[in-house]
Amino acid sequence: MIQRTIWVSALKELPAKDLLAMTTEVSKDWMLRPKSLPQSGLGMMKLKDSAFNEAFYLGEFPISTAWLEVTTADGLKAEGAAQVMDDNVEIAEALALCDAVLSSELPGWQQVYNMVEQGVAIREKTKRERKVMLARTRVNFSLLDNVGDENAQD
Amino acid sequence: MLKIDPIWQADIQQKNFRLVLDAMSRPGRCFTLHTLPDDGPVVLSILATLLDAEVSLSDPHSLLRSDDWLMLQAKSALADDADYILCDAMQLPNILPKLGTLPNPDQSATLILKVDNLGTGNHKLRLSGPGIKEIESLSINGLNLDWLSKREDWNGAFPLGVDIILIDDKSVAALPRTTNVKVEVA
Repeated sequence: MIQRTIWVSALKELPAKDLLAMTTEVSKDWMLRPKSLPQSGLGMMKLKDSAFNEAFYLGEFPISTAWLEVTTADGLKAEGAAQVMDDNVEIAEALALCDAVLSSELPGWQQVYNMVEQGVAIREKTKRERKVMLARTRVNFSLLDNVGDENAQD
Repeated sequence: MLKIDPIWQADIQQKNFRLVLDAMSRPGRCFTLHTLPDDGPVVLSILATLLDAEVSLSDPHSLLRSDDWLMLQAKSALADDADYILCDAMQLPNILPKLGTLPNPDQSATLILKVDNLGTGNHKLRLSGPGIKEIESLSINGLNLDWLSKREDWNGAFPLGVDIILIDDKSVAALPRTTNVKVEVA
């Protein structure tokens, strides 16, 4: 079983429309109630500079959060939450629903889990591609040792 | 896909905010809130309208459920430090709210008192002051009159003081600190 900490980021790799279609299908007879208000907005990344150790804002990033309670048609209850870098709150709600479905193995969890596996595969592929790109740009500084110092006095 | 009650929706909150503003501008007049019977208690509509994560709330009489706190997002605080204090008006006023400071009298607490009825009741208040042409009458049921004598103490060093919002099951009325209140028995 893939760890819970990976679920949301793996599902985020998939096209949003596929994710929304799947969660709509899985939860069609369920009652979804927010535990806190789903929200989207901008997060501020605060860092400290290394010279004066003073705080500054590096930049903004989109963020959406959702925390909901699911009640299935059979009366099973579960909670799920998600916090993602996306400005679409519906994505956060869908991911929170997936979190609830997987954590409590609600009906349809296998379908959700298959999507998590697909997301993990996409992540691994992206990681491999990045590794190859990084390897191509690597500079071998050790060759500089053989050139010698041009300014050195004889 | 997620069902969110109307009291948490921006359009209803904007309408309710307008009503609270009108209530503050016309002390003693009752305004009916924009909530449906199954939307939950009116007290929650008011809190949903006024609060966010930047302000603090005290609930010394435990009128809220733990789920309500999560939705409101307000910080929990003791009554002497809270921006908003929610109280059952039948109980004794055993709190000491923030009264603000002379440079910042706005940094005082707003009391939200839950009464049984506004517009009818055994206590009739005669109100005068800014926002009232001559005299405004407000009948209330379910208000411990000690709240009014405490209010007089708290507002004694005007502009320091507290503003009060009264609510029952469907409407809201306000007693800003500028309003003079005299009690008659109805």
